[in-house]
Amino acid sequence: MTDCGCDKARAELEEYLRNEICRTDASEIRAHLETCEGCQSELHIGIVLTQTVQRACKETAPEELRDQLMARLRGLQVL
Amino acid sequence: MVATAVLTNPVELSFGVEPVTPVVDLGVMSTPTPDPRALFEEQAIPFLDQLYGAALRMTRNPSDAQDLVQETFVKAFAAFAQFEQGTNLKAWLYRILTNTFINTYRKKQRDPYQGSTSDMEDWQLGTAESATASLSSRSAEAEAIDHLPDSDVKEALQSIPEDFRLAVYLADVEGFSYQEIADIMKTPVGTVMSRLHRGRRLLRGLLTDYARERGLATASVKGSKK
Repeated sequence: MTDCGCDKARAELEEYLRNEICRTDASEIRAHLETCEGCQSELHIGIVLTQTVQRACKETAPEELRDQLMARLRGLQVL
Repeated sequence: MVATAVLTNPVELSFGVEPVTPVVDLGVMSTPTPDPRALFEEQAIPFLDQLYGAALRMTRNPSDAQDLVQETFVKAFAAFAQFEQGTNLKAWLYRILTNTFINTYRKKQRDPYQGSTSDMEDWQLGTAESATASLSSRSAEAEAIDHLPDSDVKEALQSIPEDFRLAVYLADVEGFSYQEIADIMKTPVGTVMSRLHRGRRLLRGLLTDYARERGLATASVKGSKK
């Protein structure tokens, strides 16, 4: 991997993934990604990592919590 | 539910709705200021599952998570008049949740490893990339991470420092922007970015280790072509 833009791309891949960089930078990285398999695979890992965390963290509140909370809120005065 | 119904049969619905529209509008207009309790239940309670999930990752045990969520909603209810309708209610609730956690539970739970991240150097965090230089191993790594059971992912999250964990959770699970996370965690955006980078790097290293322990990393090398 020569310095064909990999350094910049790697440094900002996460921002790119989250859509947190300006359009110019994004298009530079996009252009680089098209030609660089190494950075593509890094991006892919980044995406998989996000999806894996999302999937694992799905929770449903226990019914008892919901019931207790609603009862507690109904006992409170409206300000 | 309603949205799906609309989408499944738009044509039939548009016929049916038209004559009804003025009646609906009148109904909305004649309604006096909505009851704050009803409004709170309608707008905030739907976030219960999400907040509970976040509370679980914060406190790392179900009983504290339940207490934290209850406290959050009680505070939010009491302060609901200050919430500006039309702004981001989810972010508002997360701010209260995070505040409550930091002020109450973090003190209670503090152990030497949790929370203090500023004194961790990059070399301590390891470099996930150097361990996985080649292309084929990288695609195998992605595949392996993808196949890990949820319990491993949660365990990995539990074991990274709290500030990192929170940042990763807020960004990856909740999809908050850097600015929103900065507001929720009361830190500059630069700090959010650094926590995210380091947190994700740690997480990736741990997940890759778990995958290797489970034999996923090697097993998937052959069959990883998609």
